[in-house]
Amino acid sequence: MTSQSARNGLVRSPFDLAGGLFLLAIAALGFAGGFNLPFGTLSGIGSGLLPRVVATLVAAFGFLLILQALVFEGDQLEKWHLRGPVFVLGAVLIFAVFIRGSTLTLGGFGGLPLLASVKVPPLGLIVAGPLAVIFSSFADKDTRLLEVVVFGVVMTLICGLLFKELLNLPIPFDPAGLIPGPVYHAYVGVKSGIGQFFASIKNLIVR
Amino acid sequence: MDLLARFATDLVGNLSLGMSVALSLKNVGLCFLGCLIGTLVGVLPGVGPIATITMLLPITFGLDPIGALIMLAGIYYGAQYGGSTTAILVNIPGEATSVVTTLDGHQMAKQGRAGVALGIAAIGSFFAGCVATLIIAALAAPLTAMALLFGPADYFSLMVLGLMFAVVLARGSVPKAIAVILVGILLSTVGTDLESGEERLTFGWTEISDGLDVAVIAMGMFGFAEILRNLESTQTRDVIHAAIGNLLPNRRDMRQSAAPIVRGTLIGSVLGLLPGNGAVLGPFASYTVEKKVAADPSRFGRGAIEGVAGPESANNAGAQTAFIPLLTLGIPPNAVMALMVGAMTIHGIVPGPQIMTKQPQLFWGMIASMWIGNLMLLIINLPLIGLWVRLLKVPYRLMFPSIVLLCCIGIYSVNNSPIEVVMTAGFGLFGYALVKFGFEPAPMLLGFVLGRLMEEKLRQALVISRGTFMTFIDRPLSGVLLALALALVVVAILPSIRQSREVVFKEAD
Repeated sequence: MTSQSARNGLVRSPFDLAGGLFLLAIAALGFAGGFNLPFGTLSGIGSGLLPRVVATLVAAFGFLLILQALVFEGDQLEKWHLRGPVFVLGAVLIFAVFIRGSTLTLGGFGGLPLLASVKVPPLGLIVAGPLAVIFSSFADKDTRLLEVVVFGVVMTLICGLLFKELLNLPIPFDPAGLIPGPVYHAYVGVKSGIGQFFASIKNLIVR
Repeated sequence: MDLLARFATDLVGNLSLGMSVALSLKNVGLCFLGCLIGTLVGVLPGVGPIATITMLLPITFGLDPIGALIMLAGIYYGAQYGGSTTAILVNIPGEATSVVTTLDGHQMAKQGRAGVALGIAAIGSFFAGCVATLIIAALAAPLTAMALLFGPADYFSLMVLGLMFAVVLARGSVPKAIAVILVGILLSTVGTDLESGEERLTFGWTEISDGLDVAVIAMGMFGFAEILRNLESTQTRDVIHAAIGNLLPNRRDMRQSAAPIVRGTLIGSVLGLLPGNGAVLGPFASYTVEKKVAADPSRFGRGAIEGVAGPESANNAGAQTAFIPLLTLGIPPNAVMALMVGAMTIHGIVPGPQIMTKQPQLFWGMIASMWIGNLMLLIINLPLIGLWVRLLKVPYRLMFPSIVLLCCIGIYSVNNSPIEVVMTAGFGLFGYALVKFGFEPAPMLLGFVLGRLMEEKLRQALVISRGTFMTFIDRPLSGVLLALALALVVVAILPSIRQSREVVFKEAD
């Protein structure tokens, strides 16, 4: 981010201009979502007062920033990168879809016709975990596929043991029974071993 | 004199009640576990206390409220201390308050004195924690009594003042800081209006008719957005290769650090009390003071132990006294405490003056556990430093996908809801955009949490005053608070102050 002399014609600070436009967009959403709510009276404030007043103020600051961008010299816009957001946030979405299964639809809302629909069965952490790790790792261009596949599976097993078995979070681990027999037995072995270990500690503490 | 004696006996009585709760084997165990896991996650580069607490919130769900709060507090201190460890060893501050620690701490580490830096940070934090615990215990009763004098109008004005503090303390432009708080307040109105039952800003989307979850926003903006920013930072991570060296500071180190620790503790404790994230100023202020009083200021930035001891003590003291506004007035002073409100609500505890009177065991147990937590940190961290070093040597290309996975599991487990995971991704993108446009995410989270409270108090105040805004000025308390808030805005806009504000934050860059 460096200050540069006015090379953008009217706009002297693209950074502030973008910030102002961003605020205007948020304010517009605020207005759109609350336009039909009652304003109420001062002694009995309606549900619409605060959203509208705050949205107005947000818009005012948006205009202020835009004005500022036209008058004062300022910074260039920071560079946006696509790689990080796409892979990291994409991985989060993948996790959300696979953890308990869901139906993905294309269209079908807001008056649009239903174009396509895919049903994803609930596959649990054992699928969602490695997928999220592998997919998100592509956000870094130095990633190595083989390494991250192994790492993803190992991390998922550790997380399963830690969160599901030790900390008792109700997270679905392998609802579809995908883990092959021998691996599953080994996992159960480790799991019950750790479980017993902690149960004995717990007994000690409770006593 | 009589009053003082009564105050002292009350204090001792309350603290011993707290100790009796906190020292049960179960609660000590939870405190230990919280500190350990909190440090483990907090050590991960780019994962600050906010992301850590959100990620680990679900593991406290099965516990009783006292145990859950003790564990959460442990997680919080652990995350704080983990952040300092990362700052010293890798030169990446997990959060704003450990920025200062990177200056001299990392230099010390490069000179083979990482052990001493971590050791003095732990010792300073422990001392600060002890003092801050006493301050909280001493101030809790009088402040709670004062809180009962607050009417809705006064509460509203106090929150306005807190948000104005957040504006002054935010980095970058003042209009942007105010705007981002307003955006937070706007987000807080999403969902069903509690009084009329009407849906607001939901666009007919039933998933958010209960309002947005603070955990979802926090995880998106502080967990995911932080990863995105770290991926782009060109700053190289240099985990120190030099030996860690001795952990325990020698006598000379101790002599050099003693005064900075005491000064840092005082500075941090006072600033932590301020509404609107005063705690973030503590380390900066302490560093500036130490540099001023030092015989040879040029040593700073080159591994001066005072530059670690003072700010780290200030950091921990502020982190702890920040609980005071939350526990006595029910008003969270910063984003972490805002998250604590969410956590307490999940366990059915409403933060505010009534906790102390109605649930003294919970209140004093939590305060006593703060002291125990600080002791735990000292005990846990000194032997485990080797483990943290090894953890930090894991390359970031493997580290960040693990953080993504942990965040996903954490946020899914809050309500077992895949939709919330999706919304978190949305807020990740939102947070990324905010930062790209020069807005700070922390004041937004504060605005979000205070927004609901403010609307409630505004409505109550106006009902009581039959619809006249004069009540906010006529009531002496409210009037003074609003005048202070106004003064703060003026101060923030004045050019000379703006300059010194930039100087304060400049050392961070």
